[in-house]
Order: sequence, then structure tokens, then C-alpha cells
Amino acid sequence: MTAVAYRTLASSLLLLSGMAAGAATGAAPGAQVRLYDRLGGEVGVAAITATLIDRVSSDPKLGRSFKDSNLNRIKRLLAEQICDLSGGPCQYSGDSMREVHAGHHISEAEFFGMVAELRDVLKERHVSLGASNELLRLLAPMKRDVVEPARATEPAGVHAPSSVADR
Amino acid sequence: MITVNRHRPSAIALLAALCAQPALAGLVTVDVTTRSGATAADTVIVFDPLDSTPAPSHDAAVIDQVNKKFVPRVSVVRAGTAITFPNSDHIRHQVYSFSRAKTFTLKLYAGSPPTAVTFEQAGLVVLGCNIHDNMLAYVGVVDSPYFAKLGDSGTAALNLPAGRYRLRAWHPNAVAAVPQREISVAAAPINIPVTIDIDSTASAVAVWPE
Repeated sequence: MTAVAYRTLASSLLLLSGMAAGAATGAAPGAQVRLYDRLGGEVGVAAITATLIDRVSSDPKLGRSFKDSNLNRIKRLLAEQICDLSGGPCQYSGDSMREVHAGHHISEAEFFGMVAELRDVLKERHVSLGASNELLRLLAPMKRDVVEPARATEPAGVHAPSSVADR
Repeated sequence: MITVNRHRPSAIALLAALCAQPALAGLVTVDVTTRSGATAADTVIVFDPLDSTPAPSHDAAVIDQVNKKFVPRVSVVRAGTAITFPNSDHIRHQVYSFSRAKTFTLKLYAGSPPTAVTFEQAGLVVLGCNIHDNMLAYVGVVDSPYFAKLGDSGTAALNLPAGRYRLRAWHPNAVAAVPQREISVAAAPINIPVTIDIDSTASAVAVWPE
């Protein structure tokens, strides 16, 4: 059998299994498979978040706010959040996006840089364009809680209060 | 800097002490030398009175979060002390302890008021931050009111009422336990040399001398 034939067979099987699943759960034929499954379910979402966080945290332009942070915790909570948002069997147990990002002074460039990385990761994992866009649409409203408007005052650096030396 | 917690008798107690036999205070200095040449700073010295039972404490202490670090890194407090955890960073922290002597989790948001946690039970409490892997702090909780945390000088000085004490020494990066010993304090000043082996690269936390 040729590779093309294999692929055709594989996609028909996929189609059949999708229909069977639809029939089994009583859903109407052609009903949308939930986004969570189109992202690859538990394994897919875990892989997407782990790759994304590894890349942005080691990227010289995006890694700043991840410095010294527990990356495994971020991966776990982001996977849980995406699972929750995409209709998977999870409930996000982390804090609000505003609390999580407070004080990190995330810029628009950093936010969109991470979005671009996420797009790449989804593409590499062969997530369909439709599913990718659907996920990005769910995440987009978080921008207002993540990005901090540029401030005219002091630069966004961390500085210790002057009384620290006495403690 | 030497942190010394001194017993401060009231005027009446002082009078009573003058009349009673064994209450004369003696100056005790402890000189800590490290074998590896490391600084003795953060070494904890505790004198447990063997002739009396210390009254419970309602002290207060502070452990701040500054630049993703606990400040101070090592604390010694009496059992019953309420420690407040402010957050001087602009980002949030999540302080936790899995230690037997005190288990808790505390969410600290930037700008939120400091929260107090009371450490009732003697023992070592290791603090971490869920969000920042490398943040670590140690709280030695003791029943005795006589203890000190050493600074760079390597010397601690305490005024101890006359009597017998058990001397304990600990450092988070101590390679081996420092042998405990019994000390008798009278009016005359005494000096106690203590040697401790410190490996600042050690990842394991030294066992707390109970």
C-alpha cells in the first residue's frame, strides 16, 4: 500500500470512529467534536503547554517574567486552564489572570510574542487551523488582565525598598 | 549583627531574684568556628534551661519577601510566636510549609496586608514558595527564651540566669550534627567554643537538633 492510501484509510477510519462516538453519546451526526479533543485531549494539551512554556521561558525576548519561577507549576496550571476552557474534564484551580500577572509588567509585545509561539506549537502538533483559532479566541480576552499599560513613571524594574537592609 | 533574645525580668522579679539563691545572671559568649572556612552567619544557638520550664511566648516576628527571597533566610522564634509575612515584591508569592511543626499555605499578593501565622510547636519549619522554586527559609521554633542567631562575626553573647542548660547549635547547611552539651552558668562569664562544618552548596537541610 502506498503512503497516500494509508493516509486515506486512516482518515476514513477517523471519520468512522468520530461518527461512532457521536452515535454512542447520542449526539446528532456531524456534531462538533469538543475543542479539548481536537487539541489532542489530556496528552495533547499537556504537550502543547509544556512546549509553549519551555520555549517562552527560554526565549531572550519573552523569558523575563518566567525567571526563577516554578515552570512545572505553570505548565500544570495552564494545561488545566486550557482543558477547562476547551470543554475538557478539568476545573481550573489557579488564581485569576490579573493576580497571576500582577507586578510582572507584561508588555503587549510579550503577550503577542507568546501568542505567536502558541500558534507555532499548535501547528507543529498538527492541530487544525479551526481548532487553533478557536483556542486563541478563548484566550484573547485575557489580554486586558495580563498586559499592564505602559507607565510614565519609574521603569518596570524590581527594586528593594530602602528599609530592607535593616531587617 | 547578632540577634539575641534576652530574658528581661521585671523590677519585682529582679528583687525576688536578688533574694532567692540561684538567680544570678552570667554572661555567656559562644564563639562559632567553621571547619570549611565558611561564614558562621545564620548559625542558630539555643540554650534550653534544665532547671526550669519557660513560660509560653506571645512574641512577634517578620519574614519578608524581597526580590524573590525570604528575608531573613533563617529565623529562631519561641513557640507561640506569630510571624507576619509581608510581600515587598511587586509580584505575588505563595508561601508554604510541609514541616511537621507547622503546615500551612499562604497566598501573598502584591500590596495585600501581611498575614500572621502562629508557630505553636517546637521544631524546624522549612518554608518554600510554590511559585518560585529557589525561595527557601528556615524557622527554628524553640521553647527556650535563650537563643541567638549568629552574624558574620561568629560570636553570640547572652545573659543567662544561673543554672544548667542544654546547648544546641544548628545551621541549615551543616554537614554533621553539632554534639549537644550541658553547660552550667554561674555569675562568672564563660566562653563556649563551638565548631560547625558548613557546606553552603549542600542541598539537603541539616537535621534540626530536637
